Amino acid sequence: MDAFLAAAALIFDLKVLFVIIASAAFGMFVGAMPGLTATMATALLVPITFFMDPVPALGAIVTATAMAIFAGDIPAALLRIPGTPASAAYTDESYAMSKKGELDLNLGVNLVFSVLGGLIGVAILILCAPALAEAAIHFSSFEYFWLALLGLTCAVFMTSEDPLKGITSLLFGLAINCIGIDPAAGFPRFTFGNVELLQGISFIPAMIGMFALSELLRGAVTVDQQGAVLSQKIGNIFTGVFGVFKKYWFNFLRGSAIGVVIGALPGAGADIAAWISFAVSKRFSKEPEKFGTGHIEGIVDATSANNSALGGAWIPALVFGIPGDSITAIVIGVLYMKGMNPGPTVFLQNPQFIYAVFIIFILANILMLPLGWLAIKSGKQILRVPRNVLLPIILIFCVVGAYAMTNSTFGIIIMLVMGMVGWLMEENGFPIAPAILGLVLGEMLEQNFMTSMIKADGSLLFFFERPIAACLGAATILIWGAMLWRGFNPKAGLIPGLDTTPGA
Amino acid sequence: MRANDAISGLVLILLAAAMIALTAHFPEFPGQKYGPSLFPRIMASGLIVCGALLVRKGLAAHRTTGAPWVEIAPWVHEPWRLGSFLLMLGLLLLYIVASETVGFIPIALLFLGALFLWLSVKPLTAVITAIAATLIIHWFFSTLLRVPLPRGWLNSIL
Repeated sequence: MDAFLAAAALIFDLKVLFVIIASAAFGMFVGAMPGLTATMATALLVPITFFMDPVPALGAIVTATAMAIFAGDIPAALLRIPGTPASAAYTDESYAMSKKGELDLNLGVNLVFSVLGGLIGVAILILCAPALAEAAIHFSSFEYFWLALLGLTCAVFMTSEDPLKGITSLLFGLAINCIGIDPAAGFPRFTFGNVELLQGISFIPAMIGMFALSELLRGAVTVDQQGAVLSQKIGNIFTGVFGVFKKYWFNFLRGSAIGVVIGALPGAGADIAAWISFAVSKRFSKEPEKFGTGHIEGIVDATSANNSALGGAWIPALVFGIPGDSITAIVIGVLYMKGMNPGPTVFLQNPQFIYAVFIIFILANILMLPLGWLAIKSGKQILRVPRNVLLPIILIFCVVGAYAMTNSTFGIIIMLVMGMVGWLMEENGFPIAPAILGLVLGEMLEQNFMTSMIKADGSLLFFFERPIAACLGAATILIWGAMLWRGFNPKAGLIPGLDTTPGA
Repeated sequence: MRANDAISGLVLILLAAAMIALTAHFPEFPGQKYGPSLFPRIMASGLIVCGALLVRKGLAAHRTTGAPWVEIAPWVHEPWRLGSFLLMLGLLLLYIVASETVGFIPIALLFLGALFLWLSVKPLTAVITAIAATLIIHWFFSTLLRVPLPRGWLNSIL
């Protein structure tokens, strides 16, 4: 209880509240702008949060991402362009509804179910995280080695249609992570005598490059293609939402549950949660023929799922230090830089910090209701902001942000190189998320692997001697087996019978 | 630019081979079997396996469907779009090379102004936005967050 009060005191501070509201507005804007994603919002925020205390820093990231994931629904309804990839699953459905004249109901449902889905995500996070942390406190290097490997495996398994490219991307990230002083013996590797490379590839500039710069490079060649906004007037968006809730409350619970689970799986975030829950909704609907004609049912599932996935992703991130999606991957990078190594010990040593995350999450989701209403009301104005003005400003912001991490042009060089690499990877169908996870988890994986190898004196059987380690190891090997099987049977989908191919 | 998987695979194999070659000089510690070279070697070996599989896949695609070795995206043939892409990269390089001597404010003005005008923002809007954005970013990072943005030519004034 003391910790809870301490956390509340940390948050209900004028400065922190200001940071939260400012980042909420920022997140709304970034999410509503097509081409700017929630991950990018985080990447742009990190150079700023770097200079804050941990609680406002986390508050900024949590709030901005929650808002961005909802705000992505607005251009989907008005323009037929998803604001973030998390809204892509139901963009067509949503636009079809708007064209049928149900724009108000559509936006209202998106807002209310985003808020409710988000709250379910937080509730499960609050229930699960402390319990899991209690179990995790007894883990040794073997368990952590398997956990890291399991996390990375999931990342490959979930993100890509082409597992081979996913694994390649992951290994690439892990290989880049080897640059710099090695964690076991302190020997400088692959630095070529360069002093700045001793610390390794700085994570934040690398991430700004891969998530923001590569996106800007793609945006640069389509800058003049701005869609035409629907000319319908937006009225009272809350009319009829309660009716939808009464009819589809089960869809809402199912979507939120799927969202939390997918979010908690490393590597898969809000976008995949939305695709899968939309597909599930269609599969089990009583009126599947209505899907595609502007039917609200699938939207309820998916819009709840993508917001609940955000909370879900924090479960493994807080408990094990293993990110559930690319946003928490960035968060973990931030936490390490602040000297707070995420993991079960944080729950013991700094419980007020965990409670603070919970409170911010709840606060952000409640704040989403009025702010989301404002964003919807001004949606047309937001979407009129010209991209040719926005793009250069974001670019210079990335440059300064990357510079601020190292206080030297070295950060900008890393950003440029990784941005080009990220751009080339996306062009050639290599997913970026596994590479970033490799970069974040690489050190933890190597450290625990080396410690375990030395403890076990090279005997691989030791890796399975402790019961939990054995379970985790078996699970990892099982997933690798499934992936190999999928590699040899290319027609088998992620889940049999479900079409979950992401389009973007 | 979309390269055939065979090319991506080949590049990866070369990179990974170079990585393994570099680990040959890593020190061994007496009495300890596993040194700093172990982990990079495992990763590089993995990359070589993946690279080989990619080469096989790419070659198969080339043989069966006649997939080209390198596919150029349509925007590359439009000078203005290609220009936008190259200008962004060029300005970033210029910033890296020149920012320390020139200073943040002049180079950011040039950076924003050039991009705005190229992306056909109206000249007056371009100038005003460039000045406003530069000053706001400078104030935000330099004054508020105390990031030592390079002063360059304006060293005596600021």
